[in-house]
Amino acid sequence: MHQHSRLRLTIIYFFAAVLLIGTVGPFLWLVSSSFQYERQLLNRPPQWLPNPIVLNSYREIFEGAVLGEESGVPYQSRIFLGSFGNSFAIAGSVAVIAVVVGSLAAYPLARLNFRGRNVLLFGILASRLIPALSLAIPIVLVAKQIGMSDRLITLVFINLSFVLPYVIWLLQSYFKTIPMELEDAGRIDGCSRLQVVIRIILPLARPGLTSAAILAFLVAWGEFLFALLLSETPASYTSTVVVSLFATDVDVSFVSIITAGVVSVIPPIVFALIFQRYIISGLLSGSLKG
Amino acid sequence: MLSSKKLIVLLALFMLLIGSVALAQDDGLKLTGWPYEVDVVTENLGRFTDQSGHDAVFLPFPSNEYRDKMVASFVAGTEFDVAYVRDSYLAEWAAAGWILPISGLEGADELLADLPAGIIEQMSYEGEVYGLPYYSGVQTMAYNAAHLAAAGIESPPATWDEMLEQAQMIKDAGVVDYPILMQLRSGENYLLREWETLTAARGGRLFDDDFNPLFQEEGSAAWQALDWLTQGLDMGVIDPASITDDDGTLLMMAGTTSFMTTTDYTLKAMNDPEQSNAAGDIKNALIPGTDEVRSGTWGYVRLYSITNNASDKDAAWQLVQFLGGKDATGVYYVPKRWALEFGLGFSPAPLYEDEEVRNSISGWIDPDLLSEQSEYAISRPYRFVPFFSDWEIGSWGPLQAAILGDADKGDVLAELADEWNELKDDWGY
Amino acid sequence: MQSEHAATRKEMSQGALALIFSAPAVLIIAATILVPFGIAVFLSLHNWNLKRPGRERFIGLENYTDWLTDSDFWQPLQTTFTFAIGAVLVIVIISLLVALLLNEKFPGRGILRALLLVPWAIPSVVNALLWKWLLNPQYGLFNAIWYDLGIITEYQNVLGSMPSVMIWLVIAYSWIHIPLATLLLLSGLQTIPGDIYESAIVDGAGLFQRFLYITLPMLRSMLSIVIIFEMIFALKVFDIIFVLTAGGPADATNVLGWTIYTETFRKLDFGAGSSIAMLLGAITLGMAILFYVFLDRGVEQ
Repeated sequence: MHQHSRLRLTIIYFFAAVLLIGTVGPFLWLVSSSFQYERQLLNRPPQWLPNPIVLNSYREIFEGAVLGEESGVPYQSRIFLGSFGNSFAIAGSVAVIAVVVGSLAAYPLARLNFRGRNVLLFGILASRLIPALSLAIPIVLVAKQIGMSDRLITLVFINLSFVLPYVIWLLQSYFKTIPMELEDAGRIDGCSRLQVVIRIILPLARPGLTSAAILAFLVAWGEFLFALLLSETPASYTSTVVVSLFATDVDVSFVSIITAGVVSVIPPIVFALIFQRYIISGLLSGSLKG
Repeated sequence: MLSSKKLIVLLALFMLLIGSVALAQDDGLKLTGWPYEVDVVTENLGRFTDQSGHDAVFLPFPSNEYRDKMVASFVAGTEFDVAYVRDSYLAEWAAAGWILPISGLEGADELLADLPAGIIEQMSYEGEVYGLPYYSGVQTMAYNAAHLAAAGIESPPATWDEMLEQAQMIKDAGVVDYPILMQLRSGENYLLREWETLTAARGGRLFDDDFNPLFQEEGSAAWQALDWLTQGLDMGVIDPASITDDDGTLLMMAGTTSFMTTTDYTLKAMNDPEQSNAAGDIKNALIPGTDEVRSGTWGYVRLYSITNNASDKDAAWQLVQFLGGKDATGVYYVPKRWALEFGLGFSPAPLYEDEEVRNSISGWIDPDLLSEQSEYAISRPYRFVPFFSDWEIGSWGPLQAAILGDADKGDVLAELADEWNELKDDWGY
Repeated sequence: MQSEHAATRKEMSQGALALIFSAPAVLIIAATILVPFGIAVFLSLHNWNLKRPGRERFIGLENYTDWLTDSDFWQPLQTTFTFAIGAVLVIVIISLLVALLLNEKFPGRGILRALLLVPWAIPSVVNALLWKWLLNPQYGLFNAIWYDLGIITEYQNVLGSMPSVMIWLVIAYSWIHIPLATLLLLSGLQTIPGDIYESAIVDGAGLFQRFLYITLPMLRSMLSIVIIFEMIFALKVFDIIFVLTAGGPADATNVLGWTIYTETFRKLDFGAGSSIAMLLGAITLGMAILFYVFLDRGVEQ
């Protein structure tokens, strides 16, 4: 038995290593590049490891954020960390609201028998079928007309409308897998529908809810098009907008872009690290034993 | 799992963050553009405020998406008073009524009198001038002198045929795999511009002054230009990556390309030791010609324009004059500063004679060769019709196919000429 | 009679319940999308070119019929489907394997699960830069690696010709999209009760048999969702094309998303841009319904 599990672990770690190289490998190149001089990015053969280790782009981002104009750091680097606040507020609100509102909407789609179920299901999805590019200008137009441009709350709503269809589809599919008997038992005990959802469905659907929250957070964190089109002042720039500001028409600071990219990855990964432990089921636990 | 109480607290926290972003609603002038040297622009605006009493703020957007951002902004009703504009989409913005002509405004004639006719033409649409220049210049040739020396070549090529020969020598000497990079990618900054350079430097143009296509005529300079590209690709001296590469400057800086045609200011980055592995080796030369034609090129302008939503048009015009022309003391303060401290090309005639400006750029480009190059600039009035980009977008695929030998050049060019003529009729030009 | 009456009453109350429960989500989506969508439909029925102010007019379905009779629609449509089929296959197969791996219990699994999201978390601008650098034919990393491994004797420009350009677009796109698909499949795997596997092991079922007869059928619902989502994303592909090839070489990667962009933002022809977007939307909806009927309905029956 012990032999068997060691073999199993060896196989698992082999594939885990392959996976790690595939997903994190290219990212490590970004990390390595962020510690290099601009010209070293163009070396042939490539400069795999930084030599020497250049901290300048990181220094600029952090010093610029703390000292502001006094730091003498370029504008883009100065405002970068500040824009994290905006991105975090948007992505956080979107994740929380999407999961709450999304699970409410997903429940009847999964559990109730009503006319127009499929119309609702596909109606929700249909809102995502038109490419964002062709809705972009109408959305900006409407936002401007009703005085909602250059506001973060508008970006929260737009991101919500983007992720909710996916969240609802995901959750309704997940809720369906929860045995009906558990819910019936709750109903017999006198729970209302809402109580059933809160006390029985949601705790059992933790892995699904977590996935939905991570999905919503990441989509909103990375959203660029509407963040760009709806912002009018630097106060409402999100981090994705600021990362793009390093291209200036006359020159591009690649190392700064890469550094900003590397730093941008940290919040969503921390978010995922905190929440990923919920992607294991409670009652329904089980795994593919090899 | 998070309890619902925690959820509510969390949400409240996020909402607080969202609410904390104050909307900066000031009444001053709003200038927008791409984010080149934001602090310098802001400093300049401070000087403007001191001199004029008008508050002004610079609100930049990413350069690669600037055009798209502004299209959305204009459609929704823009809040900016003055905006940077590139000559490549000036005609469209003017046709849509998004930017306003400055012709006839007080002081305009005096400032325009200092500008070369070619620059004014590139800021004009249907006879009206739409702004004053931010920076301007011409397309020139950059080459890696070290590569040439390593292959025993003494001077850069004077003709296109010579360029292929030299490239073959460089390749044979094992210096680089593909000595020539041509920018043939789809996109308004690449294929058509390269084709125009190659055509101009063979003494031709794509269209005549009445907007009639010339390229489809057999043996035309434009046709020869495509043949030359095919020949170079077949010989293996033009980099096959030319078809998709989006930044040849990087290849020059990597030291893996020997020749490319490029915008003048890019030589600065190519010779910057912090950015470039080939710093010091990159020189400018005249764009090659033929046995009969010495050279050819075209110019570009970035300009400041007043938008259709400018709340105070007089103040906006003052700002444009300050940025693109003279300040209150009567000197070209902002253009000179860009030229002197940042090497950006300038247009006003008085600056050409300014010794200080001349000396400042000689570290990374040969000013004499550059000014000779600009003498060969052709005018391209056909670019300042509103349907040019409609035609251009459809031309990329077929032209690439023709260059790669996947389609017959004659057929492609005839069809592109037909498409142009259809658009021309449709627009009543 | 009485039971039928009761059934109707029950259905009505369930309908009302469904309405109340789904109201907040529907309202948020509608408030954001409905008017802009209406504007887009309106524009698609008009001759509406921003460069020709004052000449806007209603032309019915003319924009649509123009597209449907134009190879500028059918050619990109074919390219879009080629790309989408390739991308969905790669994403679904790889993320299924990864999800199975990450569903195993082993020390370090939590960190690996979080790190898996890295490609998705990189800002799109930086991702674009990354792939440009990976694939560059001169200073590119992949070329250097292949060269050192002896796979190639000369640096290659993989984006310069078909079919390699399509293959690499699919790879770059999939790399970014695999994390989402894996995340969804991983949560789907949690719904399979462990005791099923245990009894299967007792019955002598091997690893592959357990996958085929237990995992796959029980994952079917989530798998179909993943396929539908990824197909919707892939049919709308634009970003990666915009950055790596701009539709080239010679229109080989000209997808509908790119056409929509050039019509709307470059030609400023909002009528043509909106109508082709509607066509793509309709095609995507058709595909989603088709997939749903084939994949998800099968589960319920």
